[in-house]
Formats: sequence, C-alpha cells, structure tokens
Amino acid sequence: MARSAKRKGSKTIVNIVLGFICLLWLVPTLGLFISSFRPAADILQTGWWNVFPHQAWKQSGETVQLSKDLDLRQPIEVNGKTFTDDQLKQGVMVDGERLMWENRRQRTLSVMERGWEFKPDLTLDNYKNVLSGKEYKLKNPDGSESVQKGTGLSQAFWNTLTIAVPATVIPILIASFAAYAFAWLRFPGRKTLFVVIIAMLVIPLQVALIPVLKDFTSLGLNGSYLGIWLAHTAFGLPLVTYFMYNFISQLPRDLFESAFIDGASHFTIFSRLILPLSVPALASIGIFQFLWVWNDYLVSLIFIGNQPGVQVMSMKIADLVGSRGNDWHLLTSAAFISMLMPLAIFFLLQKYFVRGLMGGSIKG
Amino acid sequence: MKKTKTMGRKFALLLVLCLSFTMMLSACGGGNKAAKNDPAPTPAENGATGNNQGAANGGGEGTGSPLDLALKGEYKGTKVTMFGPFVDADQVKFENSIKEFEEKTGIDIQYEGSKEFEATINVRVDGGNAPDIADFPQPGLLASIAKTGKVIDLTNVLDQEKLKANYNQSWLDMATMDGKDGKIMAGIWNRSNVKSLVWYPKKQFEEAGYEVPQTWDEMMTLTEQIAKDGDPAWSIGIESGAATGWSATDWVEDIMLRTTSPENYDKWVKGELPFTSPEVKRAVEIMSGIWLNPDYVYGGTKSIVTTAFGDAAAPLFDSPPKAWLHRQGNFITSFFPETAKVDEDYDWFYLPPIDEQYGKPVLVAGDIYAMFNDRPEVRAVMEFFTTGESIKSWVQSGGVIAPMNDAPLDWYMSESDRRMAKLVQEATTLRFDGSDLMPGKVGAGTFWKGMTDYVSGTASLDEALKQMQSGWNN
Repeated sequence: MARSAKRKGSKTIVNIVLGFICLLWLVPTLGLFISSFRPAADILQTGWWNVFPHQAWKQSGETVQLSKDLDLRQPIEVNGKTFTDDQLKQGVMVDGERLMWENRRQRTLSVMERGWEFKPDLTLDNYKNVLSGKEYKLKNPDGSESVQKGTGLSQAFWNTLTIAVPATVIPILIASFAAYAFAWLRFPGRKTLFVVIIAMLVIPLQVALIPVLKDFTSLGLNGSYLGIWLAHTAFGLPLVTYFMYNFISQLPRDLFESAFIDGASHFTIFSRLILPLSVPALASIGIFQFLWVWNDYLVSLIFIGNQPGVQVMSMKIADLVGSRGNDWHLLTSAAFISMLMPLAIFFLLQKYFVRGLMGGSIKG
Repeated sequence: MKKTKTMGRKFALLLVLCLSFTMMLSACGGGNKAAKNDPAPTPAENGATGNNQGAANGGGEGTGSPLDLALKGEYKGTKVTMFGPFVDADQVKFENSIKEFEEKTGIDIQYEGSKEFEATINVRVDGGNAPDIADFPQPGLLASIAKTGKVIDLTNVLDQEKLKANYNQSWLDMATMDGKDGKIMAGIWNRSNVKSLVWYPKKQFEEAGYEVPQTWDEMMTLTEQIAKDGDPAWSIGIESGAATGWSATDWVEDIMLRTTSPENYDKWVKGELPFTSPEVKRAVEIMSGIWLNPDYVYGGTKSIVTTAFGDAAAPLFDSPPKAWLHRQGNFITSFFPETAKVDEDYDWFYLPPIDEQYGKPVLVAGDIYAMFNDRPEVRAVMEFFTTGESIKSWVQSGGVIAPMNDAPLDWYMSESDRRMAKLVQEATTLRFDGSDLMPGKVGAGTFWKGMTDYVSGTASLDEALKQMQSGWNN
C-alpha cells in the first residue's frame, strides 16, 4: 500500500519534470509559430505574447499641456507634483493613472489608464513571401517602378528532396551490408576494420572539406548531385554502420543457424531475415540521417553551391533574409515550412519504433 | 603461443591497413598537385597573347580588346562563373544590370550568391574550385588570398591607360595588393557605397527650423538644440549579431579622417599606428561626446549596443520623429520604410569636417572583383565590369554609387544619389573603410569587440583601445 503510494508520488515528480522540460522546448517554438503570422513591423515593436488578450496602458484621451519653453533638464511640475524627465519618459503613476510623454517636443503629456487589449493583427504575408517568392520593386530609367517576382521555395524543395532521399538510402544500404558482415561473418581483420570505422566517428567533417573538395574538383563532381550524395554517404557511414551493427549483432544466433541448416546463403539470410527484422533500426537511423541531410547547410555550401538549379532549402532560406539581413522576419515562416517534411517523415516512420518485430520470432 | 601469433597477425594487418591508407592519401595529393600544375602554363601563355593583343590594339589595327571581341560575338556560348556575397534583391538588381551584356555577347555569366561568402571563398580557392570571378566586399580578405598567388594579376590583362582614365587614382591604389612575388593589381572596383552620410527626416527638419550644419561645432550645437527642444538628436544602433560593433568602427574611421592626416589613417589601417596612440584615442573621445551623452542618443547610451543597426533609423520616420539624425552608409535606405520618399521625406548631409586643414574626406566602401581563372571570355567580362555600363541599371534603381568616371551623374534617379556621386568625385581624400582593410582578426574582431565593450561600459577607453590593439599582437 505504502509502496504503491510512493511509486505514484515519484511518478508524479517525473511527470512534472517531463512536463516542465516539454514546456521549455515548446514555448519558444510556439513563439516562433505565432511570430510567423505577425506583420514585420509588429515583430520589431512587441513580443509575440501580445497577440493574446492582455492588460495594457491605453490612452484615455486626456492630455496635459505644459508650458512650451519648459526646461526638460530641470524637475518638471505637473498638476502640483514634480517629476524628473526620466520618470516621465518611463511613465509615472499618479492616482492609478499613468503620466507619460506624448510629444516631448510639444511638451504634452498623455494620461493613460489600464485596460484590456485584444487585437491580434495576423497576416499570411510571411508565408506568401516565402512560398511564392518575394516581390522586388525596381526603378526603371523613366522613374516608374516595376515589380519583379523572385523565386519561391518549390525549386529548392525538390532539390533538397533529390539530395536527401539517396543520401539517406545509400549509406543505410551500405551500412546494413557492412554491419551484417561485421556481426556474423568471420574474416581476417574483422575487428581491426571495425575499430577503424568506429574511429572515423571522432573525425570532424570540417577537416575533410578542403581535401575532399580538391578531389572532387579533379573528378569534376563539384556542384553535381552525385558529388553531394557521395559526400553525405561518406560522412554518414561510420555512425550508421555502428548503429546497424549494434542492432544486427543482437539478433539471436539460433535464427541464422536454422536458416543455414535449411541451406540459405548469406544473401538470402540478409534479405529474408535481417532486413525485415531490423526495420525498427532502419527506420530510426533513417530518420536521423534524413534529418541531418535535410537540415544540412555546411556540406551543401561547400560541395553543391548556391546555383538556383541545385540550391537546397537551408541555403534558400538563408538568402531570403537579404544581403544585409533586412528581411529576417521571413525566417519565422520559412522555418515552419522547412520543418514540415522532417515532421512528416517522423510521423510516417514512427510506428516502426513502437512495433516490436522481434516478439515471438524464435519461440514458435 | 597461439595467442601471440594472432596478435602479431592483427598487428601486421593494422600496419598494412595504415600504410595503404596513407599511400592512398598521398596518391590523391600527388595526383591533385599534378593536375594543378598542368593548367598553370596556360594562363602565362594567355597573358602573353593578351599582351600582344594589347599591343596590336595600340597599333591601330588588330582585333581589339577582349570586350570588343566579346561584343562581336567571339565568345558566344561560353560560361563565366561568378561568386559573391549579395543575394535576394541585390542579386536581382545585379542580374538586371548584366542582362544586356549577356544578350549582346552570348556569354552566360552564372552568378552564385551566398550569405556565407567570406567563409566559403577561402575553402573554394584552397580546394581548387575557385569561381572565374569573385566579388569581395572586404578588400582585406582579397589581400590575404592575393598573397598566396592564386589571384590573377590584372596589370597585363586590362588596359592600364583606360583604367587610369576611368577611375580616380585612389581606387586603383586600393586595388594594388601584395602578390606572391611583388605588387599585383588584384582586382577592379565595380560598386561603391558612401559612408560619411548623416540622414535626417527632411520635411520635419525644415518645419522645425533646423539648418544643415557645415562644421562639426555647428552639428554639436544642433544636437544640443534638438535635445533642448525635447528629442534626442541621434539614433544609433550597432547590434549586428556576430558582427556587432561594426557601425561603431565606421564612426571612428570617419572622425579619424577628419582629425588627422590621411597618411596617419593609412598607417593606422596597416597597423603601424597603434590603437593606443593619441590620434585614435582623440577620435573615440570626439565620438563619445555624442554617444555617451544620454540626452543625445535615442533610448540613451545603453540602448546603442542592443539596437540592430538596421532598425536604428526607424525613429526618424515616426511622426513626429523621435530622433533626427542617423549616420550610416547609403545602403541603409533599404531599411527605411517603403512609404518614405527620398528627397522629400528624408535626405542626407555630409558628416561635417572637424579640422579645416584635412578638407572634405569621404569614407567609402565597395566591392572589388578579382579574377581566378584566365580565359578570354573571363577577360572580356572583367573588362566589361570596368565600364560604367556594367552597373547602369543598378545605379538607376538606387542604392549604389558607380566608382567609374564614365558613369554620368544623370544616371542617378534621385537628387540624393546624384549628390553622393558628386561627393565621391569631388572628395579631397577618399579612404576605404579601415576595418574592412585590416586583417580579419583586428578589423572584424578586436576592433568590433573593443568598441562594443567601450560603448556598453564594460571597458574603459584605455582598456578598450588596448584590447583593440591586441588583435595586431597575436
């Protein structure tokens, strides 16, 4: 009795902690989401929480006119009370109302009262700009203005997909073969080779950029899809191999032995037994690799570049901000659009995590 | 016994693996070197033919310069790759300005813009994947690449007489950099920005009865008057993400040019005159006269560091204006509200001189185009970029000043731009933004950081100057 109460208590604590962490993650995301619907000028002026009903100081319509040649550096007298200029800049409380400069130059103070404010000003402009391209206003020699439409995200979206799908499938395929060999085949140098591959995990990919770029240049692979598939495959392989090895080596030996006795070749075992059994592992490492490639900026920056024909989403989004960062508000909506694909992949593959394929596979 | 044997076998295997790996690596490296050495003689040959062409041209007959040949359609169907930092609206403007050239010559200029230009260009050049032409907004960066000998010397590529006729000598001097063996002409200037400008809301400024100051003292009087009238005069913001502090360096450079000789400025930029010298200190002190007076700055001194440089001009366009003056280069107009009209709602005046003996110096910045691959069509494009024609439509749409002399003033669509171009042409001293010329560690490092620390109050002036100087020391 007492024990189960204790259990329950600790469970509540865990839940509270988890809930708190979730909140920590969710609040900024929510803020970003709301910001993506706000006009640029609003984002600059107020925080995203202002879209919710809140208490705010409002003009009551009354103003106090002070003498025009008042010296602002001296204490200022308003209706018998004296304030400093700084106080009036920040707003000062007098009998439940607030006094604040309305127009310092005209020496007018406005009287403000507290009240509810609820006027969310939301717009889809950010999404329109990101999806269908920005409009650039250009002046013609005769003084008129013409509007030129920029390109939207669609081209970059297909480019990214063209890169991400093979760059996910190729390394996983190679790594599964390798993992099977490392786990179940006996050949000389197996352990050494495996250690070398694992050691590759600690090499930061940045150190490889220039040497690989040199080789790509001599092979003519720069700026081509093949080049970036190879680059992503190579950078991804150590981790994927390690991950697949961990999973495949845990599969029960009896399974293969019975298959061998039935006369199955290694390839049959791999394609008929290993692959179906390791779907959960394939799905989870697939998500990892896909996310990494989808969000990648550095590798694409170096190996594929920014030509419109091959440009990936992350680079297109960075360009949206403009040469001097003048349109950074577009990042809010662009971030959500680029998030859609990884989310879709995640929810699509998520059921494979849960479904334990191993259940009952050897008992029968 | 058996155990040691397997151990030994393992060890041998590891050794073989390591060896084969290193051999593979060195083989790759070797192959690459050979590949790199191969094309090297070609530019030299080209250089020679280029000279001949130039000579032939001078002789009155011959085939003409690469640009003339290109216009005749000699290089039809060729491609020239270009890499630069401008994206988005600027990229559209750039592409419009080269469209006519591409149609006439049949050369396809493939421009690739990247926000990460500064970081990428080094990797690309080192990796042997340099673009034909690269656009450097920071000559300091080009200078460091020029030292490696990978930039093509333009001295024999372009007709020097023509260049001298078409550029102010200061521009040509700024394009001369240290190559691998001696001085080379590392690039040509194509776009420029003017930095010594103070923006103000014209209509309200005139209504309030203020007058454009002609001297620094008049400007300070105006500042004081605006403060008495109830507004802070200046709106200043230096926040810019990782580059926070750069707009503060522009102020120091502008004041340096007005309080000391151009020679001292050059020395300072080269690192010969330390930050801790009285000249630099005085410049920062003059700046502090405005910056550190909370009555003169919108939001007070403490808001300078937290206000984004692009948002800083916004109070000028409130009605009534919350601040009246904003010193920034001409590019800032792209941050102004779309409804504000040049020459009507806003205008600029020249940041007034402090010491008469230094005349009217102008601080500029700009883009220098460097050439990495020597092919005839690339030469033609480079030559095209030395003409005003190459930037005509951009000039007309506003936001840039052409550094070439053959860009007439009537190309500028607004009075404001025209006056800027005139200011540059008539300047007594033309100096490039110093922080862009200094090595990155100083110009884009300690200088920014030191100014930010000083303005935010975390460092005293002397400490901050020492900190800025430390960039040179290590």
